[in-house]
Amino acid sequence: MSILIVTEIQKGAIREASYELVAFAQKMGVEYASLVIGSGIDGLASEFGGKGGGKTFVADDASLENYNVDGYSAAIQAAVAASGASMVLISNTPSGWDVAPRVAAALDAGFVSDVFDYQDGNFVRRVFNGKLDAQVSSSGSATVVSVQPGAIAAFEGTTDGSTETVSVDTSGARARFVEIKLADAKGVDLSKAEVIVSGGRGVGDPEKFAEVIQPLADALGGAMGASRPVVDAGWLPHEYQVGSSGQVVTPKLYIACGISGAIQHLVGMKGSNFIVAINKDADAPIFEFAQLGVVGDLFEVVPALTAAIAAAKG
Amino acid sequence: MKILVCLKQVPHQDARLDVNGDGTWIKEDGIKFEINSYDTYALEEALRIKDAGEAEVVVASIGPDRVTQALRTALGMGADRAVHVNDAACQGSDALGIAKTLAAIAKEESPDLILMGLMSDDGNASAVPPMVAELVGMPSATAVVATERSEGNIRVERELEGGAVEVVDVPTPCLLAVQSGLNQVRYASLKGIMAAKKKPLDVKTAADLGVADAVGTAGAKVKIEKIYQPLRGEGAEILSGSTDEIVSSLMNKIKELGLL
Repeated sequence: MSILIVTEIQKGAIREASYELVAFAQKMGVEYASLVIGSGIDGLASEFGGKGGGKTFVADDASLENYNVDGYSAAIQAAVAASGASMVLISNTPSGWDVAPRVAAALDAGFVSDVFDYQDGNFVRRVFNGKLDAQVSSSGSATVVSVQPGAIAAFEGTTDGSTETVSVDTSGARARFVEIKLADAKGVDLSKAEVIVSGGRGVGDPEKFAEVIQPLADALGGAMGASRPVVDAGWLPHEYQVGSSGQVVTPKLYIACGISGAIQHLVGMKGSNFIVAINKDADAPIFEFAQLGVVGDLFEVVPALTAAIAAAKG
Repeated sequence: MKILVCLKQVPHQDARLDVNGDGTWIKEDGIKFEINSYDTYALEEALRIKDAGEAEVVVASIGPDRVTQALRTALGMGADRAVHVNDAACQGSDALGIAKTLAAIAKEESPDLILMGLMSDDGNASAVPPMVAELVGMPSATAVVATERSEGNIRVERELEGGAVEVVDVPTPCLLAVQSGLNQVRYASLKGIMAAKKKPLDVKTAADLGVADAVGTAGAKVKIEKIYQPLRGEGAEILSGSTDEIVSSLMNKIKELGLL
């Protein structure tokens, strides 16, 4: 067996997650080659080859300058054929999850997604929104594996590298890249708050944010945040969202109220200095990441805490 | 215009999850099920297109008898027809087996648009939608947070990291895997639920669809070897006692952090 590592370019450089794939392949103890996809990328490819990538295939075409699913799928399939790899490793990023399953289906390969570890010959991944872990095996002639960014420390050494051009026919591409729109300037900037009090689905309805969550944030001189389900339900605007698709925050104190702790939220707040979780479900994944936990009713604890702070301030 | 919406029925998000006897899945007895949250946004998107003009909305799902309820709910919300692959042989299918089954339905239906949720709340794999697109030869886009339809094209916004979006033109017919929050999902009205009882619900097997070899544990390349509670590491120190005692501990910590 051998592996093809599919790298990703972000802001003109190979992103950190691609070096994590190198570490993952090395942990598996399997021979690997790499693939860099883009336009005008010879320099990036040879640099990556020497910094962990080893033998690095280069799919270089003007049509590959921006990510597009059909062109990237064609590039990956061409590199699989050129390298003879039976396993593809790719990062589970917005482009990774867009293209990886298409490649798997095209190769009639098994697909294991969002893996965070490799143990006893199995891939380890989270299921049920973080409530359970699964060890997964794959058989068959080919496998595509997507790896969760940040799950494993990136490779930082050097390797003997070489590059080889792989030609790609992108004439069949259908979906067309138009542009990237950056996030609007935030009306609510959570990145500078010393204290963030966030509410999740467990808060129950939009009015409770104003009645229960915001007063605690105010009492502590902090800001209010929310988890994705709250924003999806339209209870609060997107600017309050903490998580991988919202704001990444690192306050001194983060108080999570009625938040179960799905991966997408944890990514946004696990760098906080101190985390308190209040949730009625003792099995909620948020307790894994918190330093202090309260298994109980947030509607009892939070108002009582708000009152105690007000009293302490006199 | 015909829209195919593929739904999955999953354990309710608040259901208590216990690992089953052989440690490979959860105990499904006695827990509530619901339509996968991501798929509800896909269905809503289809129903909005239907509301705006002429479209037939067909919903499809794979699973045991309980899935009938999910399909009836979808019909109650406004879908026109349902296809239920109810076949014990499908149990233990991997994502590719599921995708081949749904692709077979798509080939029979020849929809102009296939809408699905980005991922499921149980497997969390984000695997099936692009696979279906590949198998039926349609262009696709995932993590769709906005759509704008014109003749022969749907301009979509795909969610990237940190709140950025990527704008992509996807020619139709195509498959879109939608992100949660794309729209505000309606509830089935009582009138809708009553009307749903008369709407067609076809039941099929894997063999009917010509995918018997691809499904079930026998057809699966990817298998769950074991499923278990995550190792919790250090975890939180859980405060116990009365509300007053808990608040007092929290106050001490807040003071210790220099925040008061």
